[in-house]
Amino acid sequence: MTRPEEPSRSRYLEAAEGLVVTASATDPTLYLALHPGGGVTAFNGHVDLGTGIRTALAQIVAEELDVPFDRVRMVLGSTQAVPDQGPTIASETIQVTAKPLRQAAATARRHLLACAAHHAGCEPDELEIVDGIVSRKHPANWAIAIGELVRGQLERIALDADCPVKPVSAYRLVGTGQARTDIPEKATGRWAYVHDVRLHGMLHGRVIRPPHTGFDHGEHVAHNLLSVNEDSLAGLPGIVDIVVVGDFVGVVAEREEQAARAADLLDVRWRKAPAIADLSAPEDPLRDHPASARVLADNGNVERGLDAASSPIARSYVWPYQMHASIGPSCAVAEWSEERLTVWSGTQNPRFMQRDLALLFDMPEDAVTVERMEAAGCYGRNCADDVTADAALLSQAVGRPVRVQLTREQEHGWEPKGAAQVVDVRGGLDLEGGPAAYDFETRYPSNLAPTLALILTGRVSNVASVTHMGDRTAIPPYAFDNMRVTVHDMPPLARASWFRGVSAMPNSFAHESFIDELASAAEVDPVEYRLRYLTDPRAIDLVHAVTERAGWTPRTKPMTMEREGDVLYGRGFAYALYVHGTFPGTAAAWSAWVADVAVNCRTGEIAVTRVTVGQDSGLMINPEGVRHQIHGNVIQSTSRVLKEKVEFSQTGVESLEWGGYPIIQFPEVPEIDVVMLPRPDEEPLGVGESASVPSAAAIVNAVFDATGIRFRELPLTPDKVLAALRDAGLAREPEPRAQTRSLPAPTRTKSRRSLFSSLAGVAGGLLAGGFLAASPWHSAIRPIVKPDPATYSAMTIARGREVAAAGACDVCHTGVDGTPFAGGRAFETPFGTVRASNISSSVENGIGAWSYPAFERAMRRGISRDGSHLYPVHPYPSFAGTSDADLQALYAFMMTQRSIDTPAPKTALSFPFNVRSLMAGWNALFAGSQNFAPDPQRTERWNRGAYLVETLGHCSACHSPRNALGASRTGADHLAGGFAEGWHAPALNGEGPSPIGWSEAALYDYLRTGTAADHGSAGGPMSSVVASLAPLPDTDIRAMATYLASFSDRGRAQGSEMAVPASDHSKAVIEQAAREAPAGNRIFEGACASCHENGAPIASLSAHTALHAETPDNVVRTILKGATAPALLAPEDKRGGLEVMAMPAFAKSLSDRQIGNLVRYLRARYAPDAPSWQNVEETIAQARKAVGR
Amino acid sequence: MPARSLSLTVNGQSHLLDLAPDTPLLTVLRNDLELNGPKFGCGLGACGACAVLVDDRAVRACAIPVAAVEGRPVTTLEGLGGPDRLHPVQKALIDEQAAQCGYCLNGMIIAVTSLLRRDPDPDDAAIRSALRHHLCRCGTHVEILNAARRAAGAMRERTHAGEVE
Repeated sequence: MTRPEEPSRSRYLEAAEGLVVTASATDPTLYLALHPGGGVTAFNGHVDLGTGIRTALAQIVAEELDVPFDRVRMVLGSTQAVPDQGPTIASETIQVTAKPLRQAAATARRHLLACAAHHAGCEPDELEIVDGIVSRKHPANWAIAIGELVRGQLERIALDADCPVKPVSAYRLVGTGQARTDIPEKATGRWAYVHDVRLHGMLHGRVIRPPHTGFDHGEHVAHNLLSVNEDSLAGLPGIVDIVVVGDFVGVVAEREEQAARAADLLDVRWRKAPAIADLSAPEDPLRDHPASARVLADNGNVERGLDAASSPIARSYVWPYQMHASIGPSCAVAEWSEERLTVWSGTQNPRFMQRDLALLFDMPEDAVTVERMEAAGCYGRNCADDVTADAALLSQAVGRPVRVQLTREQEHGWEPKGAAQVVDVRGGLDLEGGPAAYDFETRYPSNLAPTLALILTGRVSNVASVTHMGDRTAIPPYAFDNMRVTVHDMPPLARASWFRGVSAMPNSFAHESFIDELASAAEVDPVEYRLRYLTDPRAIDLVHAVTERAGWTPRTKPMTMEREGDVLYGRGFAYALYVHGTFPGTAAAWSAWVADVAVNCRTGEIAVTRVTVGQDSGLMINPEGVRHQIHGNVIQSTSRVLKEKVEFSQTGVESLEWGGYPIIQFPEVPEIDVVMLPRPDEEPLGVGESASVPSAAAIVNAVFDATGIRFRELPLTPDKVLAALRDAGLAREPEPRAQTRSLPAPTRTKSRRSLFSSLAGVAGGLLAGGFLAASPWHSAIRPIVKPDPATYSAMTIARGREVAAAGACDVCHTGVDGTPFAGGRAFETPFGTVRASNISSSVENGIGAWSYPAFERAMRRGISRDGSHLYPVHPYPSFAGTSDADLQALYAFMMTQRSIDTPAPKTALSFPFNVRSLMAGWNALFAGSQNFAPDPQRTERWNRGAYLVETLGHCSACHSPRNALGASRTGADHLAGGFAEGWHAPALNGEGPSPIGWSEAALYDYLRTGTAADHGSAGGPMSSVVASLAPLPDTDIRAMATYLASFSDRGRAQGSEMAVPASDHSKAVIEQAAREAPAGNRIFEGACASCHENGAPIASLSAHTALHAETPDNVVRTILKGATAPALLAPEDKRGGLEVMAMPAFAKSLSDRQIGNLVRYLRARYAPDAPSWQNVEETIAQARKAVGR
Repeated sequence: MPARSLSLTVNGQSHLLDLAPDTPLLTVLRNDLELNGPKFGCGLGACGACAVLVDDRAVRACAIPVAAVEGRPVTTLEGLGGPDRLHPVQKALIDEQAAQCGYCLNGMIIAVTSLLRRDPDPDDAAIRSALRHHLCRCGTHVEILNAARRAAGAMRERTHAGEVE
């Protein structure tokens, strides 16, 4: 169990001994507690978001108190212990909330010195404190540990805001690098994040969100739920409760995987979410959104300046919705007990959280404790608050502690996004080339993203509030004489909140791009141009320092740097002073970038190769911590500029995983050269965000320098860049690729008609043609007393088990809950649902009362005991050839298996398909009745394989095309490929689409383990078949492989001669695929490549039959459903040699549109010589219907 | 899938558990064995936060069913080393202060460990490539790359000194 609990403030205030520093004599807000053992506990209302402030704050306390660093323990955020200092935002911790802490430490130090002086009989200024020991300076003959000074009684003193603090010149800890205290535990798995809290008796919860993913306001919100069908979870193990409050829906289970499964399966019906504007292209929706203008500055005369401009310039800059994209989806644990609520939460705002929970449950705030735990990094606000309230609702419902883990899809979908923004700038040059005017208008749709449960349960209004947050760094840093700055405040579109740099990033993108355009128009070096209008001396110093470090050379026009093959190089500059907080705001650290880029004119890829970044942070508490923050800002903002944009569907957020929202990867990370200006005598400034702010303009300016093309909308994805390069005549078109091979042209269109659709033809044909004459009626065979299992020898039963395995009986006849032979599995057809029957030994509902002759007739002729016809879903035409001995053994086996007395649901087809007797005519045409005849020219093994494949194994049922009447074709079409349950069953006759021939060894591996090194893994119904074959001895599997491989001899050549994998490594193929399907390429890189890229331990996708097939069915279905082979399929003794792999299902992670893009990319990338697939959308829609969700 | 008895070997210890065979390995490690090292990140095998070593190869515990590792040794971050006996890769990450939030750290350490077992002297491109599908959102890449280089050096020195890992 892991149950972290901070002692409450009163524990410190009521301790027997020690020294505590509170806000005042009457205000018990606690800042510092010194303990008799010499330890110090310090309290801060802000929390550590991964920035290392836990360490920096401890440095400040240790410095001011003169105690060793490792004696200071920081308590951050936990509501029952720390001061209320508001949310951890806007880089304020060091700049704002650390101040009272430093004062408290100074006050305590002064008090300690006074006490010690009293003991020593001297004046305080004759004493000094070093490493927690107070000693007399001259003579050094007296010393006392501070722990001793606070022993014996508890003293409480009030924080003195005027108590002098140490001069910077006396600092020994602050300003030096300090190793973070949390990293050793994090590097060894000992640290407890909120995800790691485990309480006694804790249950696991999951939530189910409404369909308006990522939108939290509007009339429909909180009124969307139509129904929750609790029966949909009947029979699932471990379910404790289903909780519904308004539009809040959650499930609670004993185990996490049970809760996850329940959330997937729970049948929840919602109203259709209303259509939204296309926020994937945010410019128009933002312009169309009602807003109120707020003028922040209006100097000089802008209109007159614009009129006088010699060359007016009007530009618009568009910033997309982006996401925090925390690596760990949010998680929380809640515990209700006797009207008291305790939550373990990763919230950034513990006090807000406490208030929200009190509001949600209509309880006093002090009955709510928020234990703040670290979570995955967040750079604004993610779903940490939402999930905390979710856990509380579920815990209240079940009366036990509940842990709720959001899914990746929920975190991506519902986190409050960084808002999109549109900025218009009008300006121009005066006659001297200076800025004639600067008219800046910015549009920002933010909101406060109230905790979701409050809205979903109706506790707070679904009407969104408007915040004034678009004004961060809206005032440009340059001295423009005629300047007007307007912000258009507007209600939210998508759910949004602050995200690192808030509106300052888009605003600075516009400022710093526009001034670059002015410089370019004036034919002045952009750095020089800025310096003319910068007035802030610290800014000027910084610009000089950074450009000098980067070796900046003046440039007055683009494309002056060298070109190397297809690659153009360029460098750009940008500067910003991040001003945050309520307007006019507070300045954090100054930052400037020189970005070096390489633009590939063939692929459109932009590489940021190097960033020289300078920062003036004032006094740096922990310089190494500052350096790491700068690195983090540079890398994250580079990612945002090059790659990041939230995509939306018609109803909500579409980017629900890392393929739909790719972020920077290691190979793309630039070299970073950090210049930190030493300013030890200046106030410490927030460093958590500043270095992000110049990023976009620096990179865009560098791309302009490289290409002469100015991008004003982010992100700079390769397809967008390539299109612009083409327009500019700079794109390099690829060389036409020599084809590595050509597939034989399809000689025929294989019937896509399934068994079932073919039945339509059967019925029609039979009705019209009058096949009814073909003896449709058969007599019933009378029931018998169920045979005594003792009748059968163990050897017969064992043989029967193998026959059942070879026949894969339980693949179709398994119960819906997995009970063997219980029947009921539905086979959806256009005409109704065919249900597999119960074939257990139940007398009432199975085949327990069937005599052997009845059984044999059903197996060989498709006639049930009662004389009715079975549909040829039951592959009796194949079984007809089974040997008598095998059928008898199978009968014995079936009769000795458990009786399942639940009736399977009946097949209910509509007329005419419900007329079973029509099957008689069908049988007259197609049913076989011949026993299998071995081929004396072939080996015994081949013949054994032929027997298994052609009779018991009934491979042709799926792998042969069916004729118009639904019968498996014979002759040349035998095993020439068919369809089963929506999956394409590839040809086994050696003419399949696989680029590499199937060798006997590959077939053996595939049938035995579900995977073959050169071909990939079994999916869909075939994976169940492989599982069913597990009891067969190796000799039988080998025999089947021998038989099937003999077809390859007739077909194409064996694998080793094939050239296909060459395309795997062909740069031309890779680039061409990316050009053809750029969106699919991005999804592949983010969602698939971790397992499927070259060098991955599993079979190359180039070899996968599915990607070379005529239709994309199997690819689509595999993406939707995932694949368990070989992880779950290989027999235990075969597993050692296989990779431990399974493919997750992406049905709830990727939209149909995304899958379409992905499928197109896969085809182009891995089957480059095959024609593009047609009807991809229809295939996806069909498969989605079959798979659900 | 119905539960059955499964035998697992994790960090050298044997465990017998009654589980549905398709339960994600990650869930079992975290909830049944109470190991905090491997983290839930995406459930789709994409981000790498859940990585563990199976037969010395880094795999994604969120996306593989527990039954797949029956009879195969699993090593988690905890099994590599503890605070008193750090694995060289862990030590390098600490020495380089290669964490901000630290949530991805597990995957980074597992991936670097696996890389160095295959290639004791990787160049920068090889390290970046090995870490390519391990996502870090805080932007700790520079420190992680430095740590990987440092770990490679430390492990080579140990090998020269004849120590056996």
